[in-house]
Amino acid sequence: MITGNRKSVNKVVMLADPTVDEWSDLLIRVGAERDKQAFTRLFQHYAPLLKGFLMKGSNIGHEQAEELAQETMIKVWRRADSFNRQKASASTWIYTVARNCRIDWIRREIRRQRDVHADDLYEPRDENPSQVSLVQMRNKRVVRESIELLPQEQKEVISKIYFEGRTHSEVSEELSLPLGTVKSRIRLALKRLNVQLEADAEEVEEVE
Amino acid sequence: MQVSKHPDNEMLVDYAAGALGPAICVSISSHLNFCYECRGKNSELSNLGGSFLETTTPAELSGGALNNVLAHLDQVEPSVAPRQPVLQEDEARLPELVKNLLPEHGVKWRFLTPALRISRLVVGEDRYELALHKIKAGGKAPDHGHNGMEITVVLQGSFSDGDGVYHEGDFLVRHPGDVHRPTASANGSCICLSASEAPIKLIGPIKRLLNPLFSITPQ
Repeated sequence: MITGNRKSVNKVVMLADPTVDEWSDLLIRVGAERDKQAFTRLFQHYAPLLKGFLMKGSNIGHEQAEELAQETMIKVWRRADSFNRQKASASTWIYTVARNCRIDWIRREIRRQRDVHADDLYEPRDENPSQVSLVQMRNKRVVRESIELLPQEQKEVISKIYFEGRTHSEVSEELSLPLGTVKSRIRLALKRLNVQLEADAEEVEEVE
Repeated sequence: MQVSKHPDNEMLVDYAAGALGPAICVSISSHLNFCYECRGKNSELSNLGGSFLETTTPAELSGGALNNVLAHLDQVEPSVAPRQPVLQEDEARLPELVKNLLPEHGVKWRFLTPALRISRLVVGEDRYELALHKIKAGGKAPDHGHNGMEITVVLQGSFSDGDGVYHEGDFLVRHPGDVHRPTASANGSCICLSASEAPIKLIGPIKRLLNPLFSITPQ
């Protein structure tokens, strides 16, 4: 299962230089020094983005989005010491915190279930080797430029999945589209967003 | 027949987006624990979430939001001590994530057949039953067919069926209508995590009597 190019992938990981990201610096300071000034700057930058992100889904209203954005930031403060910039950027890490808050909120508010928290169901963050590669970092810049340029039908399905937390099957039901159509739109969207899910040895070699 | 031993991209997208129910979510997390390649994919898909967050149009918060949050920072989070379930020797290598879902007193195995034990996990599910199965070394689980989807992740040891041999970390999806008979390798017991959608059906005249034991209980 662990493929033969593991070694070369590891090399790329070691070369990754995430120091350019000021938000990650702030997050590290919050984790290591409990720095409230650094936290305030993170809050001013991320809380409005979180609220905007959560409101993009049709299943979460204005007030809940505000509440969830605040809940997410409190959790960011509490969990900041587990942030590892070798594994993820600040934005990606905060995204996963918000995603888990949203899962718990939906389970708590809609299904009245509060027994198990999303944090217990996702991969523990500190057990596994680094995954951020230069390839991924470069991809990220491209992603920023092209989300808005997606064809409407691709934007619609990928938004339902990421902003509302719906599965492919749920989206297919909701939009009355065959599952195969949803899958192919997502596949095309990921391709345009430069998200690489197939191992591409050449790309890895190139940056070594 | 070539069997995939990884979740497909559709599942990984749903996982990174936070769309999956608890049982499948835990199954994928368990696989990621073993699989470097799928961790890389998950990382890409989580980065996409991060990019969506970064590029969202910001929405202004209410005036008191920052102060409200700052006021919460010094409150101590109600701490939940990490569970340290009592484990048998052959359960010690289970992924941390799975250990965390076990009751304090450890895995409580229930008898299904002389070669097969089950221990159900409570994850707040309403559709899938999540359970650990243990097949003893060289033991055979009964032939069974599936009425719904079943996901199996090998956590410890290995087993084989008519289609192949499966090792630690392998992620298998069985669809309604699939029939197979897993056999644990002779050199050790095999522990698998499985998420089952609908009651599995034992096949054969006497085995029908056992079917009630195999009833599915999402919890």
